[in-house]
Amino acid sequence: MTARQHKLINQPAAIVDEMLAGFCAAYSDIVRLDGRLVQRAQPKAAGKVGLVIGNGSGHEPAMLGWVGEGLFDVNIAGEIFTAPGPDSIVEGIRAADRGAGVLLCVSHHAGDRLNAEIALELCAAEGINNVDMVLLYDDISSAPPGREAERRGTAGLFFVWKMLGAYCEGQVSLSQAKALAEKARDNTRSLAMSLSSCASPVTGEVMFEIAADEMEIGMGLHGEVGMGRQKSLPADATIDLMLPPILQDLPFTAGDEVLVLLNNSGSLTLMELYILYRRVAQKLAAADIRVYKAWVGAYATTQEMAGFALSLCRVDAQLKALWDAPANGAAMKQL
Amino acid sequence: MNSIGAEELRGMLMALAARVAEERAALNRLDAALGDGDHGSSISAAFALAAADCAALGEASLQSLWLRTAKMLLNGMGGASGALFGSFFLSGARQLQGVERLEKCQMAALLRAGLEGVMARGKAKVGDKTMVDALAPAVAAFAAADDYSQAWRQAALAARAGAASTRSLVPRQGRAKYLGERAIGIQDPGATTIALLFEAADTWWRNLTDEKT
Repeated sequence: MTARQHKLINQPAAIVDEMLAGFCAAYSDIVRLDGRLVQRAQPKAAGKVGLVIGNGSGHEPAMLGWVGEGLFDVNIAGEIFTAPGPDSIVEGIRAADRGAGVLLCVSHHAGDRLNAEIALELCAAEGINNVDMVLLYDDISSAPPGREAERRGTAGLFFVWKMLGAYCEGQVSLSQAKALAEKARDNTRSLAMSLSSCASPVTGEVMFEIAADEMEIGMGLHGEVGMGRQKSLPADATIDLMLPPILQDLPFTAGDEVLVLLNNSGSLTLMELYILYRRVAQKLAAADIRVYKAWVGAYATTQEMAGFALSLCRVDAQLKALWDAPANGAAMKQL
Repeated sequence: MNSIGAEELRGMLMALAARVAEERAALNRLDAALGDGDHGSSISAAFALAAADCAALGEASLQSLWLRTAKMLLNGMGGASGALFGSFFLSGARQLQGVERLEKCQMAALLRAGLEGVMARGKAKVGDKTMVDALAPAVAAFAAADDYSQAWRQAALAARAGAASTRSLVPRQGRAKYLGERAIGIQDPGATTIALLFEAADTWWRNLTDEKT
C-alpha cells in the first residue's frame, strides 16, 4: 500500500508553527500559544503540581489535545517527529510551575529522554528545584518482559495522561504524582500494527517500504518497524494475533477490569476500527476481562499511516475514579 | 601552522556546516532505512544555525564559538541527534576557558572530552552502531598523529572506516535498535555524519594551510 505523499501544507519549514497557530486559534477557550509552548488558557491554581510534556510534532492531536483542565499544564512542541531541545523544555517547566513542583513526563524515545535529562541538569544549575521526570512506556513489541524500561512510549500512554492529570488537580506532592504515573504506566500495555507507510512532512519521502499485501506488527509512533512483517489478515484474525501477547505480557487475567483504546494511526476508517473493536470486545468477554470504558479514535497519529494501536490499562478503584474525573482538553473531554 | 585561533575555528565551523548541507539528501536517505528519514535535514539546519550564529558573533573567543555551536545544535535540532551532537561540543567547552590558541594536543583533548560527553549522555559503546563507532577511532587517530596535518587526515580516514564498519552491526541504542538484525547492511547515519565532519575538517585544514590534498 503506498503512502499519500502530497500534503496540503504551505512550506515544510513552517509546518509546526502554522499547525500550532491553527490549533490554538481553534481551541482558544482551552489553550494559548507562547512560542512553542501550548499552555492552558486558564492556569491551574497555585500550590498544585505542574505537569509538562514535550514531544515531536506530526502526531496530532497527541499531547496538544491533552492540555487543559484535568490534564497537562504545558505541552512543548518539537519539530516533526523530533523531541524539543533542552532550553524549550526548561521554558515549559518554568511555565508549568505553580509552586508545588513540576513533573516532566517523558514518552520513552531516545531523543525525548536525552533532552529531558539535559533539561533537568539545566534546571538544577539554574536553581529550579522540585522538578522530576517520569519515563513512560507501553509498547510490548520494543523489548521483552523484564526489560520494560527499554520499551517505547506509544498510544497507550493516553491512560496515564488522563489519570495523572486528574490526580494533579488535587493536593498531591511531586513524589506522589510520579508514583501515580508509574502505577498507571505499569498497568498499561500496547501493541500496534500498520498496513501502510506514511510520508515525512519534512522530506516528502515515504518513511519505510511495505508491500501491498503485507502488514507490520509492532509499529512505533514514527513508523519504526517492530516485530516483523507478515501477510495481511482480515480484521478478526489481526486482533486474534495481537490481543494474546498483550494479555500475556502484564498479564491481564480473568476478573480484571480494563480501559481499552483502539487508536487510529492515521488513515484507517472508523468503520474499520469499529469492526476491529467488535472483535476486541468479544475476545475480552471470552477471557472474562471486563471493559470499564473504551475509546475508538485518532488520539496519537503518524501522519496518514494506515494502522492502529490496541492498548489496555488495568484499573482499580483509584484509577477508575481518576479516569472519570473531569477533563477539558481539545482531544479529551470528560464530563 | 601549528595552532588554531578563534578566527580559524570559526572558519572550520562554517566549513562543517557547508559540508553537511551538501550531504543533506544522502543523510536523509540513510536515515530513512533506520529512522524517520530526516537526519540530513535536521543536522544541516542545526549546523546552518550554528554557523550563522558564530558568523554574527563578532569578536569571539574559542570558548564562545564552541559553546554557541553546542547550544545551537542542542536547541536548534532537538531529538537524540541534537542532544548527542550538542553534548559533543558542550563537554569540551570548559577546557577552552581563557585559551587563545589551540595546539594540536589541546585539540586532541577537546575532541576526547567531546567523545566522553557523547558516550556518557547516550550510553553507547563502540560496536553499538551509533556515531561513537566513527567518533572513537577518529579521536584516537587524531591523538596518535604527530601534527595537525597528519591528525586531521588520519582522523578523517579513521572516522570513514568506523562509519563503514557500522554496516555489519546490529543497533543497540537509539531508534534503530528496534529493527534488530534488519538493520544489518545499512550504515549508521550518525556515524556517517561524524565521518563527513572530520573529512570536512581535513579539507578545511588543507585549504587553510594551502597544502596539497
